[in-house]
Amino acid sequence: MARYGMLINTKKCVGCFACRVACQMANGLQSDESFIHFKEEETGVYPNVHAEVVPVQCMHCENAPCQQVCPTHATYTTDSGVVLVDENKCIGCKYCMAACPYGVRIAIKETGVIEKCRFCWDGSEVGNPPRCVNTCISGARVFGDLDDPNSDISQEIAATNARPLASHLTDAKIYYVR
Amino acid sequence: MVWGSMIAWYLFLAGASAGAFLTSAFVEAKYPDSTVMRIAGRLIAPVFLGIGLLMLMLDAEAGLHNPLRFFYLIMNPGSVMTLGVYCICVFFPVALAAAVLEVLKRPVPKWLTWTGIVSAFCVAAYTGFLLGVVKACPLWNNAILPILFVVSALSAGLAVTSLVGLILDRKRFEQMWLVKKGHVILSAVEMVVLFTMLVIVSSGSIEGAASVQSLLTGEYAPMFWGGLVLLGLVAPFAIEGYPVFITRKVETSTTSMVVSVIGESGVLVGGFLLRLLVIMAALPVMYL
Repeated sequence: MARYGMLINTKKCVGCFACRVACQMANGLQSDESFIHFKEEETGVYPNVHAEVVPVQCMHCENAPCQQVCPTHATYTTDSGVVLVDENKCIGCKYCMAACPYGVRIAIKETGVIEKCRFCWDGSEVGNPPRCVNTCISGARVFGDLDDPNSDISQEIAATNARPLASHLTDAKIYYVR
Repeated sequence: MVWGSMIAWYLFLAGASAGAFLTSAFVEAKYPDSTVMRIAGRLIAPVFLGIGLLMLMLDAEAGLHNPLRFFYLIMNPGSVMTLGVYCICVFFPVALAAAVLEVLKRPVPKWLTWTGIVSAFCVAAYTGFLLGVVKACPLWNNAILPILFVVSALSAGLAVTSLVGLILDRKRFEQMWLVKKGHVILSAVEMVVLFTMLVIVSSGSIEGAASVQSLLTGEYAPMFWGGLVLLGLVAPFAIEGYPVFITRKVETSTTSMVVSVIGESGVLVGGFLLRLLVIMAALPVMYL
């Protein structure tokens, strides 16, 4: 079984927001609803400074905190490791929003369901690849099977020494080059 | 933050409901003559919880549109929210039954009262655990918060029941030294527990420290010092404590009654503000 993950190379990301717009189109989101959030990070002291744009979305954590607290089992994980929301079970209690350390779960205004990135899950499989990956103008995103050592993503993680954003918080499946 | 005043109202009403039920059980056992306060506690418990649950459902928008989804709430016993639903599933019917029996002037059986007492404690405590298990928020993720919520719930339940006793049956209420003493002690304990929590949380992490700062000196400072500390803790402690521990005499003047009403109301305002502030001031941990 595959275990899907994504790599985001912030050194290639130009912060154009194309991934977010593509995601909104693909997932039927309003312009003020988005699964991809952008963090701007500045580090260092002048003149040795470093600025980066970090696109953040659902990290599809192993033992996801949002899934653990979800009282209705609306949030669940597929066999392929994708964390999904069953919109017919969600009551909109927002416990998942509170529990998510990355703050990437959002309320859909029309339904009140608390949604998030689903790797463009179409009902039975992930997007191949998800729209944000397809759209990225600089090839900053790589998607694939983390368990397959020959997959593009596994090769890229090894080559760039990519890591999850905060391994002390959760065991995430989105890897970052920073 | 994620949640707002609706959830703060729920947390407060659920706590006060549990506290009111426990107060009525205590009054029944210790002051069998004081029917007014017993009845008040028993009626307030299901009413407050009912209003609270309504708030909860109004806030859960996806469930509000499809109410049958609320049945899924029992599905995940690993979630504190589901555990809370179990507690409420016991407490609410028990409180309701006790209230109905009281209205019908029938005796409430001992076993029902005891079931209510146990489930009331569970309801009062679970609201603290609900927030307490959220690792992403240091202000919540500590062992003291559930204790603080339980103490505050008992205090609020006692206050709302006392308020009724004070107004409708003052002569008897002023004689209930155990209730009055208990109330003062609860206020004191709550101050200590709150102080402890803020010290521990602010030393635990940057985000915790920032949360505590926003309460003590930041944007929530007026509400924290004026509403929670002064009106909700210090004033009731002084107002109730003075006659109980210093003068030790039964008050009969109208002035003392007005002051007492302010004290009891203060506890209720403080109980609500405590939950509102805890919800609003919680900052999530940084991950970048």
